[in-house]
Amino acid sequence: MELWNDGERLERELTPEPIAAPAMGSLLLHGALAACLFAYAIIGGLFHHSLWGNPGSGGAIQVSLVSNALPLPSDQPPNQNVLATETPSKAPAEPTPKAKQAVDETAIPIASKQKPQPPQKQAASKTSQHQPQPNQDNRARYGEQSGSSMPRSTMANGSTNGPVTVGNGDFGSRFGWYVEVIKHKVDQNWFRAEVDPRTPRGSLTQVYFRVSRQGVPSNFKVNISSGSPTLDRSCLRATQRVDTFGGLPAGSNDLWLDVTYDCTY
Amino acid sequence: MNTRFRLFPLVSLLLACFPICLSAQDWVHTGTNLGNDRIRIATADFKPVGQDPQTPALKAAFDATLFSDLNSAGIFDLVSKSLIPQVTPGSPQEINLPQWAAAPSNAAMVAFGALSATNGRLVVYGWLFDARNTVSPQVLGKQYNEIASQDMARTVAHRFADEIILRLGGGINGIAETKIFFVSSRSGTKEIWEMDYDGQNEHAVTHLGTISISPRISPDNSRIAFASLGREGWAVRMYSLELGRMVNFPAGTAGGSNQSPAWSGDGSKIAFSSSRSGDPEIYVADASGGNLRRVTTFRGPDVAPCWNPRTNAQIAWVSGRTGLPQIYTMDQDGANIQRMTDGGYAISPSWAPNGQFLTFSWNRKYGPGAPGGQDIYVMDIASKRWLQLTHEAGSNDYPSWAPDGRHIVFERAIGGHTQIWSMLADGTEQHQLTHTGNNFMPNWSWK
Repeated sequence: MELWNDGERLERELTPEPIAAPAMGSLLLHGALAACLFAYAIIGGLFHHSLWGNPGSGGAIQVSLVSNALPLPSDQPPNQNVLATETPSKAPAEPTPKAKQAVDETAIPIASKQKPQPPQKQAASKTSQHQPQPNQDNRARYGEQSGSSMPRSTMANGSTNGPVTVGNGDFGSRFGWYVEVIKHKVDQNWFRAEVDPRTPRGSLTQVYFRVSRQGVPSNFKVNISSGSPTLDRSCLRATQRVDTFGGLPAGSNDLWLDVTYDCTY
Repeated sequence: MNTRFRLFPLVSLLLACFPICLSAQDWVHTGTNLGNDRIRIATADFKPVGQDPQTPALKAAFDATLFSDLNSAGIFDLVSKSLIPQVTPGSPQEINLPQWAAAPSNAAMVAFGALSATNGRLVVYGWLFDARNTVSPQVLGKQYNEIASQDMARTVAHRFADEIILRLGGGINGIAETKIFFVSSRSGTKEIWEMDYDGQNEHAVTHLGTISISPRISPDNSRIAFASLGREGWAVRMYSLELGRMVNFPAGTAGGSNQSPAWSGDGSKIAFSSSRSGDPEIYVADASGGNLRRVTTFRGPDVAPCWNPRTNAQIAWVSGRTGLPQIYTMDQDGANIQRMTDGGYAISPSWAPNGQFLTFSWNRKYGPGAPGGQDIYVMDIASKRWLQLTHEAGSNDYPSWAPDGRHIVFERAIGGHTQIWSMLADGTEQHQLTHTGNNFMPNWSWK
């Protein structure tokens, strides 16, 4: 019995163990682990989970807004798009007032048919909270801008012929550099990222503002709407962000300067 | 009859006012799609007048400084000296504008003038002309009369450059006469130093013989607040540039470690960090050192405050309440706290003069073996979008805005040497300002 046991043990020790199946299993398991790690790396790289501070697609560095916003000149190529429409949208019609129920003043009220009036609750006095006043002037402004006969100059630099005339719209030709200053400063403060990206390229908003003798802008309003509220608002904000353009040139007799500024998206 | 006489003065007054009313306003139309390049400006060498032997040296200093100031202003495309006409117009009668407006200079603006040194006085006449406007070309005309010296020639050039930048830069003052305060260890101990904005004219301000850091100049350029190591530890101390000596600031000396002072834009208050309660917190005191009050109360260090110079009602600072230091903003009473950075290691905030941007030092992927480094960033506060200004060039820290909002000064450490650098606020035009010893923690003066 003892011998048999020894022989059996010897036979068992000499017989090679079946390692093929476990080895294959181990290989498959490691392969699957490696595939999982690889897939995780790929997927993790594709989808950044920490996009805070980086709005927009992907996690790439968004530099356009800040660099535009910095008070440095930016180069904007001329926009030759002729698809921009100047046709204004119509202002919404005012809602028709509800017709009042006719009251027969000759009728004698019957006491039994009169509904008892519930006691009126005294409105609790609310603390008035400061709320920003919405723009009450929601009329369409189309057609209200000055006619084309108004004196204006479009970037006229030394293009005037004939004698110098004071006033009456030759500011742009006499002080073209100041018009450049206005153009640069508003453009630096126009953040195109504020505009809805669905706004058609070439859309144009024209805003109006007045520059005081000291160079401070005021009386901001949208002169010609682009039809895109975000474009209108961003252009208006660009002008409102400017504190000063610097005082009007010493050679100018103007007390103020009216400016119309086109923002072309 | 009486009525007619009564109306006569009124009608006369109206008629007299009529021409004034006519010139009361004007109208211009411009926009974003009409070309928006930098202003191309040429600087003619100023014409030397007289035979004084000082004149050539003063003229050379003046010409070089004016060219350098306009070149680093950030708003001009300066015409190279090799492209300008080889003439030196000394007066409006001597300049031929079409010559400057034509190729190869293609200048839109020309700065020119004359310079003379007589009887120890430096007299400079300077003009700025619109080269493409032959009808009324003069934009600017200036005259300076100062003591004849190299420093004054540079100062006059700075002033003339600032006038040009003010005119063509849209009412924003130039920085040519501003100063930069910084810490330097070149004398053996860390003292507060001062230099011109372009790195010239470096000289020590304090001689305390201890360690002085974090200089912050007051808005009126009269006092410097800084942190200094004394017998009681770190204290916020004050140096009067007008008196040339230390002045008292009692709020900054009481107990604990008091550091990183910051002036409010109106010069009435100073914020600083103090660990007098055990944990570094932000405190605000009057500029005289009285009326001290604690602003932050959270667990974790709160240091490096800076004010919104536009409103004087908000403070940005560094807080470690969530672990690694991050940039936060709050109202000056400690309310309305907002976290600005989302991770990494963010320190040393500085608020832009227009109140719209923060610049700070940020290591976005902080940790061993992480990519990137300590770089300078600018963040638009409203949208929290940011722009990286420095890339793979040493370790960058302590950014400080120039008063024009177009420039930033900062310290950069490369290979064990730390120096002061300046750049435009979009990261371009980076220039090393200091070259001697090690120099740290720059702070740009307010004007």
